[in-house]
Amino acid sequence: MRRLLPIGRALAFVLLALVLCGIVFEFAGYSAPLMFESIAEGAFLNPNAWQHSLRWALPLFITATGVAISFRCGYFNVGAQGQFYIGAIAATFVADGLRGEPAALVVPLAFAAGIAGGGVWALWPGLLRVRSGTDEVITTLMGNFIAGLVLVYVSSGPLKDPSGTGQVMASRPVAAAYRLSTSAGLSPAIIVIALVVGVSMWLLINRTAFGVLCSLAGRNPIMVVWQGAKLSRLGLAGFVISGALAGLSGTIEVLGPNGRLVSGFLPTHGFTAILIALVASLSIAGAAVVSLFFGGLAAAGLYLPVLVGLPAAAIDIINAAIALFITARAWPGLAHLWRRRGGAAETP
Amino acid sequence: MDDFIVATLRYGTPLVYVTMAGVLASRAGIWHLGLEGLMITGACAAVLGVVQTGSLGFALGLAILFCVLGSILLWFVIEKLRANPIIAGLGLTGLGLGGTDLAVQAIYGSQASVNAPFGLPRLGPAFGPYGVLSVLVVLMPVVVFGLWVFLRRTRLGLQLAASGEHPFAARSVGVNPSRLRLLALCLGGVLVALGGAELALGSLRIFAYGMTAGRGFMRFSAVIFGAAHPVGSAAAALFFSIVGALGIRAQLVFGDWIPPDLLLTLPYLATVAGVWISGRLRGGAKAAPAFGELRDY
Repeated sequence: MRRLLPIGRALAFVLLALVLCGIVFEFAGYSAPLMFESIAEGAFLNPNAWQHSLRWALPLFITATGVAISFRCGYFNVGAQGQFYIGAIAATFVADGLRGEPAALVVPLAFAAGIAGGGVWALWPGLLRVRSGTDEVITTLMGNFIAGLVLVYVSSGPLKDPSGTGQVMASRPVAAAYRLSTSAGLSPAIIVIALVVGVSMWLLINRTAFGVLCSLAGRNPIMVVWQGAKLSRLGLAGFVISGALAGLSGTIEVLGPNGRLVSGFLPTHGFTAILIALVASLSIAGAAVVSLFFGGLAAAGLYLPVLVGLPAAAIDIINAAIALFITARAWPGLAHLWRRRGGAAETP
Repeated sequence: MDDFIVATLRYGTPLVYVTMAGVLASRAGIWHLGLEGLMITGACAAVLGVVQTGSLGFALGLAILFCVLGSILLWFVIEKLRANPIIAGLGLTGLGLGGTDLAVQAIYGSQASVNAPFGLPRLGPAFGPYGVLSVLVVLMPVVVFGLWVFLRRTRLGLQLAASGEHPFAARSVGVNPSRLRLLALCLGGVLVALGGAELALGSLRIFAYGMTAGRGFMRFSAVIFGAAHPVGSAAAALFFSIVGALGIRAQLVFGDWIPPDLLLTLPYLATVAGVWISGRLRGGAKAAPAFGELRDY
């Protein structure tokens, strides 16, 4: 019962968020039942839906795992989007610069570059945070904007496809030999990477001293310091791991489904990953389940405008409304249901 | 020089308004990450109001109404549902960005931007090069000074600041911090609606998706840099706008050597530098008041 309560609470608030979305849809002049029906169809009900949902779910799961780890350490690294972009850019530089070399050399190098790129983009806010106490929410948010502009510059400058039309700023397509999957986006390689990441991060969090200390640091940093652990080192490790995983999914997107670097691609990836981590209440196994749901929503985001003629912004609204409510811990009048023992939840 | 001041004020006035909303929230003890979404909502509502009804007063009223409603929603979620303010604020921002996108698509089909037939009244040719500035630019110092008077010289303002600084002490003298936070958020909603209206109807007279471009987050740096003091924060916001205006100017001068896209990152870099320097000067813990208690889940 005690374990089921948070899940029930999360579901209740997701439902509340969907009701709010329905109100917004009706207000904007769309029929809410039709909208939800189309979304469900695009996400899970039409014949190929599960394949599409899984294609979106796997990279989201990898990024969300990283977000969960940094949140567990007590640091709000909300810069997954920027780290995702920088990882994708670094991987594209390698794949584009080493064109013609054997795939056995280029693909691992591209992965290393992507992971390193994402890690570095999380390292500087982390360093600013642990050295000077600079608030990491602002620095990582600014990092998202800066990375977005760097992506615009790179895809219209150094990596620009010379044969491009000028309408879409994009890099040259990644050579077929280096691709992990076709544009359908589901291949054994990607599934294996996601499995490896999921299992190793689960072990790291649940079965190592580092993971236990991380979770403690997020809940009670003072106690961790008194225990003799280096809080700043734990925090930095959390930052770098989360950035590296975001960079890894950037690499997967470039070498896999996307096949090239496009200016401003997948602009809500990082935010969705943060949501997945939160809905799963920062558990790795939970994130695997929840990312299927959000992967479905992402698939519906492509399905809606193309097949039903409804705006894809509906998906952004659903995600945002869930974000608004998901961390809620009380309901007026029902607070006693989930008050912590000893009334700890009542102290402001 | 005149051109430069005009460019700074054009870039900076919306930022100052949203900074003032941030000062209020910060003083009341709320880490307000929803201002970005409220600002884009205000900009969108103002433009759509002008286009649909042709009445400026109605458009401003609509912008204020939506921003206040959004503020009340955020207050309810943070104070009554006890949600994490950072995530809830980001959710409100996403709701604003997605909602404006949906509204524009619902009314105009798949159109990227909406042109307004007319905008806020301008000062007029009598003021020379400054004539292109809108009346909200002139109102800005009044708002900043008024906010300072409110926070320092009125009973309500002092109670508001107290409920952010030490909620327990405020409660012990019969002040309800939660209610004062609602007041701060709603007043901030009005200010951010004005900022959004100035952004969309001031000089450009257009609404484009994502046109706030992170101003609602940049203002954090201004508030922290100015220690949540209205005048200091406004000065910091204007300093960031000088950096932004320099970035636009530098595109013309250095465009051949430095790619313009990278020069556009200047305001964001300045924001990071601002938070970093104020953290160094005042200590990180003080720069983010009561941050420890916000992240207790």
